[in-house]
Amino acid sequence: MNEEEARKQAAEDKVDGIKRRDFLQLMAGSFAALAAGGCQFKKPAEKVVPALVAPEEGVPGQAVWYATTCGACPASCGALAKVRDGRPIKLEGNPEHPVSRGGLCARGQASLLDLYDSQRYAAPRIGGFPGSWDEADLKVIRALEKARASGKAIRLLSSTWASPTARAEIARLRARFPTFRHVVYDDPSLLASVSAHRLTHGRANLPTYHLEKAKAIVSFDADFLGTWGSPVQFTKDWAARRKPDAELNLMSWHGQFEARMSPTGANADLRVPLKPSERYGTMVALGRLIAQKINWTGAMPASGPTTVSRTVLLQVAETMVAERRRAVVLCGSPDVAAQVVANWINQMLGAYEQIADLEHPSHIAEGEAGAFDTLLEEMSRGEVSVLIVRGCNPAQDQPRSEEFRKAAAKVGTIVSLAGRPDETTKLANVVCPEHHPLESWADHDAHGGALSLSQPTISPLRGTRDALATLARWDGRSRSAHELIRDHWRASVFPRVKKAGSFEQFWEDAVRAGVLSVDIDSGRTSFNPAVLSTLKTPRSPSIGYELIAYQSIPLGDGRQANNPWLQELPDPITKTTWGNVASFSPVDAKSLGLIEGRVVKLGAGGVSIELPAHIQPGQAPGTVAAALGYGRAVLGPMAGNFPTEKMLPIDFEPASGADVMMLSRSHGVSVELLSRFERLAKTQTYDHLVDPLMGEKRDLVRQTVLADFMLNPRADNPEEEKAESLWKEHEYTGFRWGMAIDLNSCTGCSSCVLSCNVENNVPVVGKAEVAKSRDMHWLRLDRYYSGAPDAVEGSPDVSFQPMLCQHCGNAPCETVCPVLATVHSTEGLNMQVYNRCVGTRYCANNCPYKVRRFNWFDYAHADLSENLALNPDVTARSRGVMEKCSFCVQRIYTAKADAKVEGRNVRDGDIKPACAQSCPAEAIVFGDLNDPKSKVAKLAKSERSYRVLSELGVQPSVHYLTKVRNKRV
Amino acid sequence: MSTSHVSALREPLVDGVKDLGQVTRDVCDPLDAHPTPAWYAAFAAALCALSYGAVMVISQIWTGIGSWGLNKTVGWSWDITNFVFWVGIGHAGTLISAILFLFRQKWRTSINRSAEAMTIFAVMCAGIFPLIHMGRPWLAYWVMPYPNPMGPLWVNFRSPLLWDVFAISTYFIISATFWFVGLIPDLATMRDRLPEGWRKKVFGFASLGWSGSHRTWQHYEMAYLLLAGLATPLVFSVHTIVSFDFATSVIPGWHATIFPPYFVCGAIFSGFAMVLTLMIIARKVMNFEGYITLRHIGAICKVILLTSMIVGLAYSTELIISYYSSNHYERFAFINRIKGPFAGFYWMMVFCNVLVPQTLWFEKIRRDVRVLFLISILINVGMWLERFVIITISLHRDYLPSSWTDYSPTYVEIGTYIGSFGLFFTCFLLFCRLLPMIAISEVKGVLSYARSDQDKESRHGH
Repeated sequence: MNEEEARKQAAEDKVDGIKRRDFLQLMAGSFAALAAGGCQFKKPAEKVVPALVAPEEGVPGQAVWYATTCGACPASCGALAKVRDGRPIKLEGNPEHPVSRGGLCARGQASLLDLYDSQRYAAPRIGGFPGSWDEADLKVIRALEKARASGKAIRLLSSTWASPTARAEIARLRARFPTFRHVVYDDPSLLASVSAHRLTHGRANLPTYHLEKAKAIVSFDADFLGTWGSPVQFTKDWAARRKPDAELNLMSWHGQFEARMSPTGANADLRVPLKPSERYGTMVALGRLIAQKINWTGAMPASGPTTVSRTVLLQVAETMVAERRRAVVLCGSPDVAAQVVANWINQMLGAYEQIADLEHPSHIAEGEAGAFDTLLEEMSRGEVSVLIVRGCNPAQDQPRSEEFRKAAAKVGTIVSLAGRPDETTKLANVVCPEHHPLESWADHDAHGGALSLSQPTISPLRGTRDALATLARWDGRSRSAHELIRDHWRASVFPRVKKAGSFEQFWEDAVRAGVLSVDIDSGRTSFNPAVLSTLKTPRSPSIGYELIAYQSIPLGDGRQANNPWLQELPDPITKTTWGNVASFSPVDAKSLGLIEGRVVKLGAGGVSIELPAHIQPGQAPGTVAAALGYGRAVLGPMAGNFPTEKMLPIDFEPASGADVMMLSRSHGVSVELLSRFERLAKTQTYDHLVDPLMGEKRDLVRQTVLADFMLNPRADNPEEEKAESLWKEHEYTGFRWGMAIDLNSCTGCSSCVLSCNVENNVPVVGKAEVAKSRDMHWLRLDRYYSGAPDAVEGSPDVSFQPMLCQHCGNAPCETVCPVLATVHSTEGLNMQVYNRCVGTRYCANNCPYKVRRFNWFDYAHADLSENLALNPDVTARSRGVMEKCSFCVQRIYTAKADAKVEGRNVRDGDIKPACAQSCPAEAIVFGDLNDPKSKVAKLAKSERSYRVLSELGVQPSVHYLTKVRNKRV
Repeated sequence: MSTSHVSALREPLVDGVKDLGQVTRDVCDPLDAHPTPAWYAAFAAALCALSYGAVMVISQIWTGIGSWGLNKTVGWSWDITNFVFWVGIGHAGTLISAILFLFRQKWRTSINRSAEAMTIFAVMCAGIFPLIHMGRPWLAYWVMPYPNPMGPLWVNFRSPLLWDVFAISTYFIISATFWFVGLIPDLATMRDRLPEGWRKKVFGFASLGWSGSHRTWQHYEMAYLLLAGLATPLVFSVHTIVSFDFATSVIPGWHATIFPPYFVCGAIFSGFAMVLTLMIIARKVMNFEGYITLRHIGAICKVILLTSMIVGLAYSTELIISYYSSNHYERFAFINRIKGPFAGFYWMMVFCNVLVPQTLWFEKIRRDVRVLFLISILINVGMWLERFVIITISLHRDYLPSSWTDYSPTYVEIGTYIGSFGLFFTCFLLFCRLLPMIAISEVKGVLSYARSDQDKESRHGH
């Protein structure tokens, strides 16, 4: 540029008010500020190995998938992390993982957002103030040395930590500090089961359940399809037997005895509402009936109270006995006696032969009932000098948290490894924050026979450190978690692998695959019936309503309560978001004069909480149920409320819900009606297939019973009438994308909903907006009760129906848009053109399925760092624009491009929309309807197939498969 | 203007013995005088309402449609209700001026000017709502087919909303033109009365050099007749097309072939009710009782009575057909109107639109302006409710019960509606002050002065 031009340029620059050079300077400054703020995305320092794409890593705009292990709960499902431009943007199940097999639950997928949570610790904290790692380590090591010198106790308190390397590190610490002990606690029902197995089988383990082998499953309060144990694995196995075939009689029978309506109970063929106080008695009664039928000669447990009719129990017993060796009982009771009874029944039914495998035990829960209580006693006696807390939050997540908080004062030094503030870190003297699982190296052996690895997918965003490295540091070694795991695997795992080759090759393969099958046989066990005669009937509560403090699908035990994706994920049963409810049975609601939203005060032992009421059909009378994990402002802004001020003047509404854990020590709670009402942020406000005015049933969820289906596969599913069209129909010469959804295997787990949210940048809108019915979910789970709508007793039939854009052949939305913002593709997709949309909402009005969602405001992430989780392949929509399910068109195009590059056609199964990919039940199948050999085309032609509202002539592309209930009783 | 023989059996169209000059003075004098305190008060109120509405609209555009009470299921409610309400009101003007003109209904002369003004202002009010109900109103011009560098991207000619754009804009243009053409002789009268000054120049320009010659009159009357012929089909087309917004959809309660005639009749019904409201006020305030006589009022009442019965028939037809269809969704849509959460609105609508107008069978009531005023307001309310019933009640519970929602308006929606009344009355009050409210030249043609004394006597004889 010569001088003349430069002068001209300068003159032009001035015209715009701001000089271009100034602007560039400013921008450079902003980028530097961003970088300094920690937002630099680097690959981890160590060598990590991508799973599916050859190591040409770092191609901008190209996603790389890393196999890793989900760290959201001890079930440790195999996961694939999608990394784009250095940022993990999606977590999906790893199809190669032998246990989770491609599924991943909603909480697991949502843990991605926890990575970007700005509430996480940026540095260690000493005495409540940020400090350096050296200081923190020094302080901890001094405390440990002091404890060793004084002979006082050192305790590591954690939730299940099923990691071989961690076990080795803990063993080293124990060797170095003689007073060191590891105390583990977890879901109390799993711990009770571990203890029961020690009593009955002499092995303190959980069996590995193979529900795919079970033809009869009876569950007592175990929400095994929702939150109990390893739900993804259980759902996979359970669903394998829920796809009825008229020729092969493979479908299982599932009975559920439970107090609250759980997603598992909603899927059961027989559901009996049962109070917790009658659970033991009912199990014993069932056990005795089975014992009678199989001529059991051993000891029998003492009976207990039950009101379940003998006819029902007899029929259940007959069904179970008829399916001997293929029947299993699962028990979600925190009471060891009930678990022992469950083991006894399983023993009688031969479940330990095939279904409940104790020889390859599961480590999804370790530790035993009572371990925490012992620790509490030690603490209150002042015997504990150092308490290290990892992966749990004893100041909140325990019924005895209150006592823990008091006893904590008598502990010399409390060290927390939590990566973000919680109730326990408030008590901690030192916080040594650990990485988010997506930043860390870890190994897992939660499932018998499978070792899995976590590899970091991003270099740590904050000044945190791997928990393993922290433990090693306190042992006096400066080793990274990567080195520790490699060393451990070189020493202990590699020799056990039969295959020859170098360790380096073995390691690279293992990291790439993320999972390794190892045969760990811990030998046969035998049942010890003597313990049965020692069982005592559990005490029943003296007063009031029996409290059920349960883990809900969205929040689980509440450790992710600051996650807006989960807060906005509707509970599949109550359909409530952003808050907790107190569920009552319709009978109790009637006698108390309760209506939905009336605030009730639940009290026990001098503590009380206030919650809005919800009336739950199918709930056992005399009980009140509330979900865990709500009402905890300490976790961050999301757990308490949603900061709506970003979205301008809509009313601010705090997320509701009190922490029910406070009451959960007591079995009985008092109920007092307050004169307040609270609006529940529900995504579905009418629950029935039968309309409220004429009492006619709408033919939306077609359902039949197995006996009818076996006789006539078209039972209750008449064929669609072919209507002649006056107009020329769309012609699909190439692909015609379509979907088939099996209503029988859909459990309502909501994994698809969350997956869709993450994949498609679906905005979170907050409580006030959801309460106004403005939830943005592209895919929703409609939950209907059928049977008489006013039934106050018994349990209604529940159906879940995933509802998404049906991509109609004659789409009513397409004709009405004045600006052609929604158009039909040559492959049958109904496409929404965001930047053409002017927002008349006519398309949404005219959609018979009401799946279109409008951006009423600019729905930004309240926590801006969470914008890093956005998927760059999908436009983030602005205000005033309509949006809806696109069948994950970005995935379709990626698959087509990949096929083209490889010079082949797109194969059936290449394209999996986010919902289909994440479904643990494999209820959603996507593909080309034009290809008669494709899975979806076959399902669409099957006898169970129907289309919702096909009578309108809109020609939906989504086929549903009828729900077939295996009703026997 | 032509004069014609009017039977002496009929009531005179203009009361009292007036000469031509008197008519001009009666109509024009108020325009020269200072406005009355009542006018000021009314104008201030209208301006307040308009400003409030403007603030609401600006804030809504600033923050988003979310400031309304709509939700994922109810995508339209007050916005489109108000739109159809105002378009409906806009029907009476053209009907009175064009169709009654073609049918030689002389009684239209006293009221056609203000009815047409009402039409134009009502269509203006109506036009606001489709604009501001858009999510991105700054892109509203995309609904126009214009050459553009985006492809060019064309509009969707299958969309009834696009038909609306054409129907409403055509209607507005033709109505305004028709109104202006009708004004020309009176503008010339105004011009002639005014002293030299800028006002005279303005009226002089606007009257397009009117000379009042026979030739001018002849051309003028032919032009007016042709325009009347042109405007007549529009009376039917506009609301027919508005009804297509609903009739062509798949939503039960919307998807009905009865909609075009039903909507047109409803529009005439509501439009005449609004004319009645305005005329009752105007004749009192402006001292036009001699021009807008009880005979006019009575004629309006008869049109209202007829259209009310057609509307009532439509309501019952809808119910019977939904029952007869045996279609569950269709039946439910109507049962839901009658017994659902918004049933009160439905029954209020039936009361206002079907029962209340039945009182107009009685001449005593047709001559009692106070009662008529109340009735006209009730009909306006009822017709607003009718659109609300059709739009909101049909939407809030459609096919899938999982999506059923409630709806309640926010202050922004209510404020915007109030603002549209503000706009309407601001324009109307300005019109009262600036232009002759009664078509001077047309009224002169129907003065009872033109009748023979014999006619009068024979009439008195009866």
